[in-house]
Amino acid sequence: MTPEERAAPGPYQPGSEADFERLYRNTYRRILGTLITLVRDRATAEDCAQETYERAFRHWRSWRPEASVEAWLHRIAINVAISDRRHQSLRQAGEVVRRLGRPAPGPDPSAMAERSDLLRAMKKLPTKQAAALVLRHYHGYSNREIAAALGIPEQTVASRLAAARKQLQAVLGR
Amino acid sequence: MSDLERELESELHRVLDPVAAMPIPPRRTPIGRTRMRTLVGGAGAVLSVKLLTGVAVAAAAVTVAGAATTGSVNPVDWGQQVSQHVADCKDKLTDGQHGIGDCVSSFESQHGAAAVASGARPSVKGGGSSNAHGNNSNANGHAKDKSKDHPLPPKTGPTARPTIEPEPSDPPNHPTVTIPPQR
Repeated sequence: MTPEERAAPGPYQPGSEADFERLYRNTYRRILGTLITLVRDRATAEDCAQETYERAFRHWRSWRPEASVEAWLHRIAINVAISDRRHQSLRQAGEVVRRLGRPAPGPDPSAMAERSDLLRAMKKLPTKQAAALVLRHYHGYSNREIAAALGIPEQTVASRLAAARKQLQAVLGR
Repeated sequence: MSDLERELESELHRVLDPVAAMPIPPRRTPIGRTRMRTLVGGAGAVLSVKLLTGVAVAAAAVTVAGAATTGSVNPVDWGQQVSQHVADCKDKLTDGQHGIGDCVSSFESQHGAAAVASGARPSVKGGGSSNAHGNNSNANGHAKDKSKDHPLPPKTGPTARPTIEPEPSDPPNHPTVTIPPQR
């Protein structure tokens, strides 16, 4: 159980709109934090977070209280991020064609403030590897909890983490 | 824990912890968007407009045709007038004469071509017997009038001869066709 879930006044009732609103307030920042490491910028992360809660709300009646609700939300959020990256690569191809011959736009100061070399390197990782890193090293999930959240074997989590660390070291030159 | 892992954790907290201090925006509700899209957008709206337009045009055409035929915009009057005229035509039949097609046709032609356009003519003429005389080889010169309440002429009385159209005749050089007797 996550700290947010422990702080909640009671268990969530599937299908209850009031409980879903409470879930949104309790988990939004953590889901947004995950998404910021997975997608290209803050605005996209906020959009993906809203999309995550829209998808979750559509299946809120069928959610089973035995499962960790935040792990369930993270699984949805990662799928949303994967979809966004796929669409982003298509959009970028169109942008390159459209901007041919024009000078590149200047850097956005607000976006630059929240960037770091490490975060930039994480955004170059495959989404599933980056998600494993942020769940393990920011949210403090164990490998078992990550496996349950993503619906994959624990061994797969370990191998994704190892591959992600190796690639980060290569990118950062350490 | 390796140096990389420690650095990873501290860097993630440095970047993401300020996010935790941000106000939470209101949740986006998808219900309104999808309902509005269904109602006012896309192909559904185009089809709805076309369907409604078609129904309105058809209703207007029926009203105009009915009003032109009977002189009244009330559909109840249309049926009454036609029924009345059919009854009159039946009363006017003399002995040995059967079929009210011509009589009804005259009523139809008096009240404008709009009825023809609306498809009223075939249904009215179908009740008559102008085609039932003579020319129908299967009838052997007698009509098979399908209207139940039309009285058949007495078998002993004079049989009315066909007077509407002459018998068709073959052209002079037309080869003779022999029809074998039916079993």
